[in-house]
Amino acid sequence: MKDFIVLKFLDRFKRIFEKLGVDYAVMRRILQVKLIMDSRRVPTIMKNSSSKNTGMEDKKSSFNMSLLMYGLIGLMLVSLVLIGSNFIYQMSFVFGILIFMLMTSLISDFSSVLLDIRDKNIIFSKPVKSITLSMAKAIHILIYMFTITFSLTGIALIASLVKYGIIFFIMFLAEIILVDLFIVVLTALLYLFILRFFDGEKLKDIINYVQIILSITIAIGYQLLARLFSFVNLNMVFTPKWWQYFIVPLWFGAPFELIIHRNYKFTFLLLSILGVIVPIISIVVYLKLIPFFEENLQKLNNNSEQKKENKRFVNVISSIVCRTKSENAFFRFSCAMMKSEREFKLKVYPSLGFSLIFPFIFLFSDITGKGFTGIASSKMYLTIYFCALMLPTVIMMMKYSGNYKGAWIYKVAPIKDTSDIYKGVFKAFIVKLVAPVFTLESLIFIVIFGIRIVPDLILVFLNMTLYIVICFRAFRKALPFSEAFGTAQQSEGLIIIPIMFLLGGLALLHFIATLFTFGVLIYIIIALLVNAVAWKKAFNIIL
Amino acid sequence: MELKQEPIITLNALRMNYGDKEVLKGINLEVGKGQIIGYIGPNGAGKSTTVKIMLGLVTGYTGKVTILGQDISKGDVEYKRKIGYVPEVADIYDSLTAAEYLTFIGELYGLNYNEVDKKAKKLMEMFQIEDVYHSRMTSYSKGMKQKVLLISSLLHNPDILFYDEPLSGLDATSVMVVKEILRELASQGKTIFYSSHIMEVVEKISSRIILIKEGQVVADGSFEALKDKCKEGSLEEIFNQLTGASDHKKIAEEFVSVVQEGQKI
Repeated sequence: MKDFIVLKFLDRFKRIFEKLGVDYAVMRRILQVKLIMDSRRVPTIMKNSSSKNTGMEDKKSSFNMSLLMYGLIGLMLVSLVLIGSNFIYQMSFVFGILIFMLMTSLISDFSSVLLDIRDKNIIFSKPVKSITLSMAKAIHILIYMFTITFSLTGIALIASLVKYGIIFFIMFLAEIILVDLFIVVLTALLYLFILRFFDGEKLKDIINYVQIILSITIAIGYQLLARLFSFVNLNMVFTPKWWQYFIVPLWFGAPFELIIHRNYKFTFLLLSILGVIVPIISIVVYLKLIPFFEENLQKLNNNSEQKKENKRFVNVISSIVCRTKSENAFFRFSCAMMKSEREFKLKVYPSLGFSLIFPFIFLFSDITGKGFTGIASSKMYLTIYFCALMLPTVIMMMKYSGNYKGAWIYKVAPIKDTSDIYKGVFKAFIVKLVAPVFTLESLIFIVIFGIRIVPDLILVFLNMTLYIVICFRAFRKALPFSEAFGTAQQSEGLIIIPIMFLLGGLALLHFIATLFTFGVLIYIIIALLVNAVAWKKAFNIIL
Repeated sequence: MELKQEPIITLNALRMNYGDKEVLKGINLEVGKGQIIGYIGPNGAGKSTTVKIMLGLVTGYTGKVTILGQDISKGDVEYKRKIGYVPEVADIYDSLTAAEYLTFIGELYGLNYNEVDKKAKKLMEMFQIEDVYHSRMTSYSKGMKQKVLLISSLLHNPDILFYDEPLSGLDATSVMVVKEILRELASQGKTIFYSSHIMEVVEKISSRIILIKEGQVVADGSFEALKDKCKEGSLEEIFNQLTGASDHKKIAEEFVSVVQEGQKI
């Protein structure tokens, strides 16, 4: 069986563990098994890119790739550390990013470790002392945390050693270790809190949302990377305010100001003390609470909460937009699936997040050029078409599901007309996912460009519904929620590019229409007619 | 019940609460060497909880549990070395291969790697799943996982076996093999504590049947003794009589009438 370098490193501390009452050989074996299982998992940070779920993926490479990603983000930290000597800002910023990255990746990827209830049944029913198991769990998480931390901060650490010398380096290193411990404890306490008051399903939902936020942040982070330094103002003078004591990254930025700059202001002193004391207190609290944690973990499998769903709303909407009974049924079914399936949300919500943000990325580069008043009278509102850029990806996802095996029901049920399935599903898709994003976006655009763009927005929406049909026709067709994620995504990827150009074509037509009086109105009428025909005909397919 | 030797397991006034719900309401039990105990009862009667308490998986009970002469609340885990366990839900690290999993479990019991590896492979062979010994268990069927669990509970040649639905997912042939294995193990002097919902199997293999309901023992004795006492022919009927579930026919009739309600398509 495979041996890990980390374990060989741990062997040096065998004595210490044995003094604590840990059965070292057993702990080592548990860790070995845990590490093997980890190497067969795909971290969230990589989920959207690599091929996966084939079961045969290269064992170590997925985790190593994610470390590389962290390394790239780490480059950003390097420049932040080196950019100047306004340490309270720079270092607080560095620790802010570090805390965010660590916390989100801990929650999204390592929750399964913190919350594994199999451990108890499998390991604890054997002659294993509880301290051995607890220690193995703690070491396991710390191994992971330190690997990520040092791929994030490794280069920054070396750079700081070169530029600022040994004292800075040691402080930086010590604080990083402190932050690591703090984050682990904080996350565990957060789980404890959630499990105390809610049930396991709620916790899984929260973990799911954190995963989504992590995916969005990483993607946007790359977009903002270049702009970052324009809003880091190095000449800003730090003026203490009472609320700043609650901003955790400042606790870790302050010691640099205190020791390196010998700035013995009371504020910095207090902030630095907080940075040392709070993590230590939280560790003590955590150690006291471990028994409660184990007890509450049992609730993970319970789902006591009965959801009272707002059925009325879905029913009213479905009766408005759907024609036939089976269309209605599929509308409600898809609404429920899109709402509750975590894996689907993890794949789709980040895309929706991008489509919210994309138009602004293009808009802002123009605002910086022309200013707000200059842009308000322009035709830049057409950037809202970037909102639809993510539609193809999401539509492609509609055929996948984590519970794809449930799709046998399509085959068994006497469904005469497959077009009802698709109509119901895509209407639900528009109502549940597209409309909310588009409405929010439109409101912001109306604020910027004024009420005059309302007809244009209607036209954009009509073009989007048409675009949905086009996407559907262009992709390989399969029943919704009927295939496993990751089986065929790769081969289909290429077709997205011409489809995206088509969106450009629709936007161009729109632009041409705005050049004529009543052009937009005429286009709206045409779009309505085309939509009506398309929605009637396009879904009549035979699988 | 008369016991010839020292009891292997003794439960004394065992009580357990989950929140305000009282799951076990004072269980008293003595189990001797070589017995196959059929531990039965309706869903939620407290069967799994009893077993989990004996394994130290659930704490916070009152009363005394003695296994192999050792009070388990003292915190010494050594007694677990003599126990084999198959849990009700197939909790298993299925991203491991059977080889990795079984050697790991064996080593947790203090066995040596090569020894377990050889033994596990042989036992897999007996169950005719040796060809997947080095495949990840995510690809296993339910029956194959169950076989791995059974093997994992026997690697260290334990004296006591706690089996919670050990036959679930197995095909008819394997069920017969496992039943025979249980009988053979008992004749070698091992104590088997067996819970299941399949009454025919319990009836056939148990030397003693303990029926619990709402956290209390309502019947305890050999199948013959129970039969005499309840004047029923099969364990299933005895079970229904003692748990007060005699209206199953009425429930079934109502169920079907609801099925037939509503419009005809």
